[in-house]
Amino acid sequence: MAASKAVQGLKHAKPILSVDRNDARRRVLNLYKAWYRQIPVICNEYHINKRPKDLNRYLRQQFDKNRNVKDLRVIDILVIKSLQDLHETKNWWKMANHVLYPLQESVNPKPTGFLSKFLEGHDP
Amino acid sequence: MPLLDLAQRQHGWLPISALHAVADLLKMPKMRVYEVATFYTMYNREPVGKYFIQICTTTPCIVNGVGCDVILDCIQKELGIHLGETTPDGKFSLLEVECLGACVNAPMVQINDNFYEDLTVEDMTRIINDLKQDKIPKPGPQSGQGHRFSCEPKGGLTCLNTEPRGPGFGIRADL
Amino acid sequence: MLRLWPLARNCKATKALASLARCSSTGAPAKVEVFVDDKPVQVEPGTTILQACAEAGVEIPRFCYHERLSIAGNCRMCLVEVEKSPKPIASCAMPVMKGMKIKTDSEMTRKAREGVMEFLLMNHPLDCPICDQGGECDLQDQSMAFGSDRSRFTDMEHGGKRAVEDKNIGPLIKTIMTRCIHCTRCIRFASEVAGVDDLGTTGRGGDMQVGTYVEKMFKSELSGNIIDLCPVGALTAKPSAFTARPWETRRIDSVDVMDALGSNIVVNTRTNEVLRILPRTNDAVNEEWISDATRFAYDGLKRQRLTAPFVRNAAGQLEQTDWETALVKVAQKLVQVPGEKVAGVAGGLVDAEALVALKDYLNKLGSEALCTEEIFPMDGAGTDLRSNYLLNTGIQGVERADLILLVGTNPRFEAPLFNARIRKSWINNELTVAVVGTRVDLTYDYDHLGDSTKILADIAAGKHPFAQTLGKAKNPMVVVGSAALQRKDGAAIHRAVATMAQNARVQSGCGDDWKVLNVLHRVASQVAALDLGYKAGVEYIRNNPPSVLYMLGADEGALTRDQLPKDCFVIYQGHHGDRGAAMADVILPGAAYTEKDATYVNTEGRAQYTKTAVTPPMLAREDWKIIRALSEMTGNALPYDRIQDVRDRLYDVSPNLVQYGAAEDANYFKQAQELAAGISGKLEEKPLTPSLLNLKDFYMTNSIGRASQTMAKCVKAVQEMP
Repeated sequence: MAASKAVQGLKHAKPILSVDRNDARRRVLNLYKAWYRQIPVICNEYHINKRPKDLNRYLRQQFDKNRNVKDLRVIDILVIKSLQDLHETKNWWKMANHVLYPLQESVNPKPTGFLSKFLEGHDP
Repeated sequence: MPLLDLAQRQHGWLPISALHAVADLLKMPKMRVYEVATFYTMYNREPVGKYFIQICTTTPCIVNGVGCDVILDCIQKELGIHLGETTPDGKFSLLEVECLGACVNAPMVQINDNFYEDLTVEDMTRIINDLKQDKIPKPGPQSGQGHRFSCEPKGGLTCLNTEPRGPGFGIRADL
Repeated sequence: MLRLWPLARNCKATKALASLARCSSTGAPAKVEVFVDDKPVQVEPGTTILQACAEAGVEIPRFCYHERLSIAGNCRMCLVEVEKSPKPIASCAMPVMKGMKIKTDSEMTRKAREGVMEFLLMNHPLDCPICDQGGECDLQDQSMAFGSDRSRFTDMEHGGKRAVEDKNIGPLIKTIMTRCIHCTRCIRFASEVAGVDDLGTTGRGGDMQVGTYVEKMFKSELSGNIIDLCPVGALTAKPSAFTARPWETRRIDSVDVMDALGSNIVVNTRTNEVLRILPRTNDAVNEEWISDATRFAYDGLKRQRLTAPFVRNAAGQLEQTDWETALVKVAQKLVQVPGEKVAGVAGGLVDAEALVALKDYLNKLGSEALCTEEIFPMDGAGTDLRSNYLLNTGIQGVERADLILLVGTNPRFEAPLFNARIRKSWINNELTVAVVGTRVDLTYDYDHLGDSTKILADIAAGKHPFAQTLGKAKNPMVVVGSAALQRKDGAAIHRAVATMAQNARVQSGCGDDWKVLNVLHRVASQVAALDLGYKAGVEYIRNNPPSVLYMLGADEGALTRDQLPKDCFVIYQGHHGDRGAAMADVILPGAAYTEKDATYVNTEGRAQYTKTAVTPPMLAREDWKIIRALSEMTGNALPYDRIQDVRDRLYDVSPNLVQYGAAEDANYFKQAQELAAGISGKLEEKPLTPSLLNLKDFYMTNSIGRASQTMAKCVKAVQEMP
C-alpha cells in the first residue's frame, strides 16, 4: 500500500520538458548531434589549433560522464544548460580560452615536491 | 661668563675663535659656550667700533629731561649712522638697548663702560666731539639737570635732610 | 665628577630631593600616596607627578619629557592642576608629595593645555600636508586631543609666523627648523646618550633656535635617533623624505644585522619595498635607539642585488641563467669531487637556518670543512665552551658593572648601542672605564692604560697596578673586541684576558652569577655559527685546499682566489654582488635579512628572529631553501621542507637557537681556564688596534653598507663637513 503510494508520487512529479525516457533520450541525442555538427565550425571560427576528431572525443567524454543520470528532470536541466552553452558558443559570446578552458590544456599542474616548487618559484 | 667678558674686553667683540678659546680653557663643549654667548645680548658677536654707544630708549628715558629720541637724533646726525651701525672709520657703533638702570638720570647713554646721564643735545654733541679726538669725557651726570653729583634729587633732598636722630628716638617712654 | 655639563646641577638637585624624601619618611623609603583624579596611587618618593599619573593609567600630554632623557620642563604641555596650588604645575618636573591631589582633567588643566597649545601653534607653520611627520606627529595628535578648537591667531598685519633658517647637519637628518617647538629633546639626546655636544639652543626668546650655531655635521653614530625623538617634523629622515605616509606603510618586526647586537627594529614597507627602519623597544638590547647604519643602510638592499643565478661560461664571463641550470651545474660538480674536498665559508650576515642547512649538507657529503669568515682563536677550549665567545655579562649587565676594561675594541663603532650603555652607566652609576688599545674617542672619559699587549700580560699576572683596581671592583667587566682575537696571537690574548677576568672574579667575590669575561663580536652571524659548530676562521681551508668552495654570504675577502687551488670551483650564495660574488664560478642569489624568516643570535647569545617584510627580488630565494634544493639535486636531500622543520633541527643541535628573546648564558670559565693552560702561543709586540677607528669606517662594514648610497654619502660628509 505504502509502496504503491510512493510509486504514484514518482509518477506525478511535474516534468520539466520530457514526459518519459524516450522523450529525454531524443533530446539528448539531438543535443549531441547539434554539438557534433558545430565542432568543425567552432574549430574554424575560434581558430582552435586542434583536430575536430579530438574535440569529438572530448564531446563524447562529456556525455559519457553523465550517462548514469536517470532522473528525467536532471537530464532536462543538463540538456538546457548545454544548449545555452552551445548558443553562446555559436553566437560568439565567448572567446577562444573560454572554449578551451574546459579542456584544461592551458593549465599546468601545480608543483608538488620541494624541488619543483623551488624551481617554479612557489614558496615551498 | 667672566671669561667671555674678558675675551670681549681683549678684542672689543667676541669672534668665534674667542668662543673656542674659552671652551678649550674650560674643557667644555663648544656648543655650550655658543649657547651662553648668544643668549646674552651684551656679548657682541659682531665687530663694534672703538666707542660703543648704547642708548637707552625705555620709558623713563623717553619722558625724562629732553627725552631720548632727541638725543638719538643728535647722535645719528653727528655720526651719520643709524641704530645698529658702525661708522666707516670703525670708531663708533650705535645700539638701542633697554633700560640700563639709570632712570633717575634719564636720558642716558652708555659708551663702553661709562654712563653719561642727564643728557642734553649740547652734552651729547660735546661728548661725541671729545671722543672723536679720543678724549674721554667725564662720565656721570652731565649739564642737563644742573650738574648733580650722582642720582640725588634735582631740587635738593626731600627727606633725610635733618640730622639723624639718636638712638631711642620714637620709643615709648616706659621702655 | 662632572660628567655631563647641563646635567650636573640636575643630578645634584634630584639627589638632594631624594635624600630629603628619605629623611622625611624616617628610615626605609616608604611609598607615598597621591590622588590622581581622586584615585589613590602608591608611588615611590621622588617620582614625578607625570610618572605617578602614568601609574594610575592617566597619560599626560608632553613634548619635552622623555623617559630616557633628563627632565627639561620647557614645553609646558604637561601642566596639571594640583589642589592648593594657585597655578598649574608642570607635572614632568614636579616630584610628588604626600597626599597630593592631582587633577588631570579639570577646567584649569584643560585651559592650561589649550593655552600652551595655542602658543605652540602660533609659531608653528601650517604645513602638515607637506610634512613628513604628518600622521605620527605628537603636535598634530595632541592638538586634536587637547588643543582648542579655534585660534586667536589672526595675523591681521600679515606679519607672518616666526620663520627659522634650516640647518644642514649632514646627509641623514633633514631639518625644517621653523617647525621646531624647542622641546630640546634632540639636544639632550646628543649630550646625554650620543655624547656629542653638537646641538644646542642659540639666541633667546622669540629668536631662540635649536641648532649647531656654526654649520657643521652632527657627527654621531646614533644621530638618526633624534628623528624619532623629535615630536614634530623639525627633524626628519633625509633618505626617506617624501616617500610615504606612516599610515600607508606596513610594519614588520625584525632584527638588525649590521652589528652583533641584534637591535630590535621595525621594518616599514610599502609595495614590496623597504621604506625605512625604525627601532623597536627592547630594554635588554637596544633600549629604544638604533645606530645610523641600522637605520639608514636599507637602501643598500635595493642596489647591487643578485637577482638571478649566474654561471661562469667558457669565456670566463658570468652569465645569467635560471635556477635549474645553475643548480644542475653545481650538483654535477659536487657529485664529481670527493666529499671531503668540499668546504664551506659563512659570512657575517648569514642566518642560523642557512648555517645549519649548509652544515648538514656538507656533513652529508662527508666534509667537516665548515668555517666562518670571522676568526676566533680555536686553541685551548676555543669555541667548544660558549662562555669563551659570548658577551657573558649581557648588554644590560653594563648597568650593574662598576668597572669596565675594554681590550682592543672600539665599541662606539663596533657596537654603538653597547657603547651607549657604557656611557649611560658611566653617567649614572659612576662607572670607571679603562682601555687597552689605541686611543679613540668613546664619548666618555677613560683611563688609557696603553696599547701594548705586554700590559695585558702584566695585568693577568697581577704585576700591573690596574690588576689591584680590577680586584677591588665589585662588578668588574672585561670586554675584549673580536678584532684583538683575530691576530696571530689571538689565543694568547684570549688566555691573558680570560685569566685576568677569572682573577677579578675570584678577588671581587662577585659570586657565580656575575661573569667578567666578555667578547664583543662585530658580525651578526658569528655566535650562531659557533653555536652550530662552525670552525672560526678560514685557516682550516687554507691548510686543506678544497676542490669546491661553498661561500655562504662570505664577502669580507677572508679567502681570495689566489689562496685557493687553480681549479677550485667556487659557489657563492648571497644577496649582494660584492667581493664574494666576483670570484665565484656559480652565483646563487639569496635573500637579505628583511626578506626571510631567519634566526640571528647576538653577541650575548640571545636568539632573535626576523620576519619576511618584503619578498626577495626576482629570482632570489631564501638561503636555507637554496641549500635544501641543491641537496635534492645531488641526491642526498636534507630532511626538512618547511621552516618549522629547520627550526626543529636547530633545536636538536642547540636548543638555545630557537629560544627566542632569551639570552642563554654559559658558565664554564674555570674549565675554560684549565684548558687554556695548554695554549703555547706568545703575545706579539704589535699594538692592539680596533678595526674601526673613525666615524667614516663605521658606515660601510658589510655588503649592505657598501651597496648603500646613503652610507656612501655619510662617509663623504664625515670627511668633508666640519
